[in-house]
Amino acid sequence: MMADEQSIESILIADCGAVITKLLLLERVEASYRFVAQAETLTTINPPWSDISAGVVHAIEEIEEITGRALYMRGQLITPREGPNGVDAFVAILSAPEPLRVVIAGLVREMSLESAYRAASGAYTRTEAMLSREGSLHSPQETWARSVRDLAPDVVLLVGGIDGGASRPVMELAEAIALAASMLEEDQRPRVLYAGNAQIRPNVTKLISDITSVEVVDNVHPTADTEHLGPTQRALETIYVNKRLNSTPGADTLRLWSRSELLPTATAFSRIVDFLWYRERNTDRGALGIDLGAATTSVAATFNERSYVTIYEQGIAYGPTDWVEEHGVDRLLRWIPEEVEDPQDIFDLLYNRELRPWTIPQEPQELLMEQAVAREILHSALDVAHPTWNAGKAQQYPTLMPRFDPILISGGGIVHLPRPGQALLIVLDGVQPVGISTILLDINRAAPALGAVAGIKPLAAASALEAGTLVSLGTVISPVGKARPGDTVLKMHIAYEDGGDLDVEARYGEIEIWPLLPGQKATLKLKPTRRFDVGMGPGRGGKIQAIGGVVGLVVDARGRPLSLPDDPDHRRRRLNRWIWDVGG
Amino acid sequence: MYVPYSIVNPLTIVQIARRLPRPGDILVGVGDTVEPAHIVAQTVRPADFRIINVARELNVPLKKVKNYIKVEQGERVSEGDVLAARGGLSGGSCRAPIGGTIVGSGRGRLLLEADPQPIRLNALVPGVVVDTRPSEGVLIETVGAYIQAAWGNGLEAYGPLRVIARAPRHPLRPKHIDPASQGTILVGGARLDEETIERAIEMQVRGIIVGGLPSRLLSLAEGAGFPIVATEGIGKTPMSKATFDLLRSLDGRDVALSAQLRPRWGAKRPYIVVPMPSEAGTPVDPDAPIVVGSRVRALAPPARSSISRRGCLNSRPARG
Repeated sequence: MMADEQSIESILIADCGAVITKLLLLERVEASYRFVAQAETLTTINPPWSDISAGVVHAIEEIEEITGRALYMRGQLITPREGPNGVDAFVAILSAPEPLRVVIAGLVREMSLESAYRAASGAYTRTEAMLSREGSLHSPQETWARSVRDLAPDVVLLVGGIDGGASRPVMELAEAIALAASMLEEDQRPRVLYAGNAQIRPNVTKLISDITSVEVVDNVHPTADTEHLGPTQRALETIYVNKRLNSTPGADTLRLWSRSELLPTATAFSRIVDFLWYRERNTDRGALGIDLGAATTSVAATFNERSYVTIYEQGIAYGPTDWVEEHGVDRLLRWIPEEVEDPQDIFDLLYNRELRPWTIPQEPQELLMEQAVAREILHSALDVAHPTWNAGKAQQYPTLMPRFDPILISGGGIVHLPRPGQALLIVLDGVQPVGISTILLDINRAAPALGAVAGIKPLAAASALEAGTLVSLGTVISPVGKARPGDTVLKMHIAYEDGGDLDVEARYGEIEIWPLLPGQKATLKLKPTRRFDVGMGPGRGGKIQAIGGVVGLVVDARGRPLSLPDDPDHRRRRLNRWIWDVGG
Repeated sequence: MYVPYSIVNPLTIVQIARRLPRPGDILVGVGDTVEPAHIVAQTVRPADFRIINVARELNVPLKKVKNYIKVEQGERVSEGDVLAARGGLSGGSCRAPIGGTIVGSGRGRLLLEADPQPIRLNALVPGVVVDTRPSEGVLIETVGAYIQAAWGNGLEAYGPLRVIARAPRHPLRPKHIDPASQGTILVGGARLDEETIERAIEMQVRGIIVGGLPSRLLSLAEGAGFPIVATEGIGKTPMSKATFDLLRSLDGRDVALSAQLRPRWGAKRPYIVVPMPSEAGTPVDPDAPIVVGSRVRALAPPARSSISRRGCLNSRPARG
């Protein structure tokens, strides 16, 4: 029997990631809810266990040891509570299962195919191939069919044609997909998700439905200048939940214990980003959350009551080798503040990290490389996410980030770094925020877990968030503009709420940090120079309230977009200076 | 994801899963005794196929195509056979680009599928079949030395072991690979280079086991045509002493070498099995905790691949 929502006082949350399974125990302590214990073990989705619940049980045993109370008996979680033992509720979130393998088929790469890719990135998917006509005179049906048959993906996402537009080329793609599916065993045939020209839905369905299952959703590109990704994203998430999450070995055990359905981690994480936006309801700014995991990077953004989720296929451990293949090693090396004698050593490090993702950097160069990877993965993930946002007034400059406040950073790739300044610098370099932002660090990786809690006891999730689960690194002011190194970018008067004040200046090319302790408040009077914009318009200043953090009050006066010096020696000097500035 | 331990055991009970790459037939049953070359399961590789656009090739309207087609659905054809022809002096014809079977027609086109190529899965190790999964594969149990490795190029082999390196830190060099290496599985110490792999290809070795493989050689190793396994990982890493000493003690014995690798989903990792004529040995418990006295291996510099016994335990769990 389950406890009703009112009586829930203790919740156990399992967060099963690709590498680590984390278990958190949230309990009511007087008037608020707090995390009272946590444990981490290896995720056991793969051999020799091949049972995701085994890792959860390992972590439960650790929590039992920490708390001294019994939670697990005779192969079952004790829920609801029985006297001092057990918990009132259990919820589980998962990012460990393999993503859906997707082939995208469409007409024009720059239009429907890119829209389809962005839609697919809204769920845990891996795009294995993109099929298009690519300027060929004749329809390359044989090639398309061979790709689909040989890859045997979980889903073929078929797009193309605006509503009422091209039909024949889309039907040719549909024919090739149907042909490929007919050549596969029935249980290997991909499901087809059609999100193209609405006018030919009946023709596509008729052609494919005899061979494999086909689902129709709204066109991802209904007109030449509009994009409509939501229905495709939701359909893919539903397929992921049914085909991967719920069929993960051991998931039935977790479902048996849980009060709610198993949730994809990114979905749970986006709930917290929503909460952060709704707390302020500021239409001039969005709320941003980035969860840099071992295998994937989730980007959740909320603007004007609309949420957006992007799951980038690469994480801090699994993916950097593929990333380097695509973008080149120089983009990583440019972030290393010392000379790398043999770039081959960098490849060796990345490959070994992928073979053993549970290891942590042991040497300074390894740590610097991991931080470089974090910067570039953040940047690439945002590159995929940014075009999906309708940021409204928050999007002040089209080629830069919209204004975000707060920015929430989660995931072992950043929060486990030795110093908070290192985490801050990675966010400044990888995200390049503009205007005024508070940077929050999810140091206990509790944000996705609280997103899951919000589904069964919203009050407990809100209470835990307000109780300081997220650690503020500080308030960051990032003026937009360009100048010569050393030129004044911003003059600022800091009036501390508890007395005392400071008059300071930030100079172009520097990161300046002034003291503002966690929880300490100050009124800032900002006076940017005429070429710089702190979010109030070029050269316009004003008063704002700022709250401190573990790093302090930060002005990133390096301009936007951030550019690194071309000369290697000069660049390394700048990088070292910035690391020094943030105490990294 | 690999588990954070590697088995290096001189005598244990090993269960080797043999899985087909796609659904197929299982040819053995539980309790059957198998030898390394024994075919335990088989399936077919997806056949090559061609879509022949008869309407376009003969330049005839879609509705009239069927009048010119000379073959039936299900009919076998050889490469060059006439599939459709307009007749007459200037009519032209449409010929089969490959041999195979006509499996479909419609919209002015024919679908020609080549004969499927069989995939035969051998046992790789001598042992007893202890489990079968219909259309998927079998589990074979054997007793012997078992070594889990870190990286492999995806291939498999069974053959005599030839330990060439004299110490775990010694690299495998071209001069070490003489004609006597043909058909053997070579054991080097620290690493390989391009010339060594090329020499090994020339000498037709059956496999290579080495400590580390520099990442610049990965594509060369992947195309070598025989299994290459790195026991420690990528880079210039010496083989761990425990692994090297065990392999040296098994010099000359027949070994099964699997270089199949899938670190991310499914966690398939390379291994070496040296079957022993013994019924002793105990299986490895994956849940066995690390205790004082457990043998541990350093995975990162400065003492990478060195092995020692754990002298003390931190009460906090290690963070991944």
